[in-house]
Amino acid sequence: MLLQPPASALARESQTQEGVAMLVDVTKCISCWWCYAACKNYNRLPETIKPDPEQPPPLSPEVWTTLKPVKIADEWHSRKQACNHCTNAVCVKVCPTGALSYNDLGFVQYDKDKCSGCGYCAEFCPFGVPQMESNKVSGVAVMDKCTFCIDRVTGGEQPACAAACPTGAIKFGKRSELVKEGQERVAALQNSNANAAFYGDKEMGGLHVMYVLDDAPEVYGLPVDPEEPPAALVRDVLRWVGIGAAAAIIVGFGLNYIVFREAKMVNELPGAEYIRKREENNKK
Amino acid sequence: MTQPRVVERFKKRTIWFHWIHTVAFLVLVVTGAILFFPGIGGAAAGGVTRSIHRIAVVFFVGAPVIYSVLNPRMALHFVKETLTWGIEDIDYIEAAPLYYFGGPEENMPPQGHVNSGQKMWQFVVLATGVLFFLSGLIMWFFKDTAPAGLFQWSVIVHDVAFLLAFLMLLVHIYTGTIHPRMTESLRSMWDGKVSVKYAKNHYGKWYEEISKGEGEE
Repeated sequence: MLLQPPASALARESQTQEGVAMLVDVTKCISCWWCYAACKNYNRLPETIKPDPEQPPPLSPEVWTTLKPVKIADEWHSRKQACNHCTNAVCVKVCPTGALSYNDLGFVQYDKDKCSGCGYCAEFCPFGVPQMESNKVSGVAVMDKCTFCIDRVTGGEQPACAAACPTGAIKFGKRSELVKEGQERVAALQNSNANAAFYGDKEMGGLHVMYVLDDAPEVYGLPVDPEEPPAALVRDVLRWVGIGAAAAIIVGFGLNYIVFREAKMVNELPGAEYIRKREENNKK
Repeated sequence: MTQPRVVERFKKRTIWFHWIHTVAFLVLVVTGAILFFPGIGGAAAGGVTRSIHRIAVVFFVGAPVIYSVLNPRMALHFVKETLTWGIEDIDYIEAAPLYYFGGPEENMPPQGHVNSGQKMWQFVVLATGVLFFLSGLIMWFFKDTAPAGLFQWSVIVHDVAFLLAFLMLLVHIYTGTIHPRMTESLRSMWDGKVSVKYAKNHYGKWYEEISKGEGEE
């Protein structure tokens, strides 16, 4: 179909409720980088040596998950950073080829063979997650990001990072259960720390990677109330404006042609009569 | 009869430029527009169409640049003509609907080398050409360095320019080739000539100017 309707909002709702998710608890993270190593190892991404904690690698086509170091009161904390697998994912919306899509289990999957390398996902993602290295001249590029270990998860296993985590800082499970658990953990933290926050329950329609934080989200580099960039919406509107205007113009020309042919440049058109009279008056 | 039966409307190089630019633009339209429709967007998979888009751009940008370098006076004249608007243009636009639906020919104010409608198209080509170029430059060469917001709005500017240019292209094609009144328009962009009768009817002011030089009428 030329114009596919967006994935049914109802279906997405149930995927969010019944789908899978990961709960990342920064208070349990010991910055051991096992999630990073397991991700590289399982997804066959090059270079699996333990990175320098002071210069952690940013996300890249070869780094699908990394740790973001955060200094709070002279103490270093880490927040695992990877695709958050939004319920209302801007990347899925702006992807022109349908390479990015929603998995029935709720997370955002992609088909590398369908990727055109346009980079819209990378530029429109409110979290800056999708990564690509493009050839400047030819433009050839392919996007990469966390896959949620789709083959493991659909096969009944947990993602490699969650399986490798030795402290339970990454927990995999049903999203609805993890929301409850995350809220409980944050409530417990708030007894001694008023800044503790739960992140990901509502953001972008509900993330499929949620965070238990001992400080405000922005401290951990998570945007408060992330939004779809306005440009993405404008693009949607433009599509329909364009189709409507093109259709109107073509129909208009069809009518113009028919009227012209039927009238055969005769003076039976209402306007022509008026002009003839006006010119006669002018002569007088 | 001393009067020539045809007059030259476009020079060969202008015609060459027109058609090279046309083909380049059509390639750009096809390889660009598929990104708008999720159902056929799959055609862009693998990035082949994006590479074709970049090759076509070399012609789309290169053609006017080379034309302007080789014919600076004609290029300047084109820009001047495109940007010069007067009261006669309003007269033309007011009278145009009836004319295009078959109203009397004499009712149209005499036109220069191009009529106001054609000038409108030239303006869209010029304006969207600049928009296409600037936004495309950002998306092509500054993808990794430009802030995300700038890239996003470059996409929008590119889209808007496309809409304007494409919709006006439809008008240009219709009025240039299909409309029953424009009998010699396409021909003039092929061998550069129109009959004297056509020139008198459609571009009265221009015909007077060019025939004055030959000492006629």
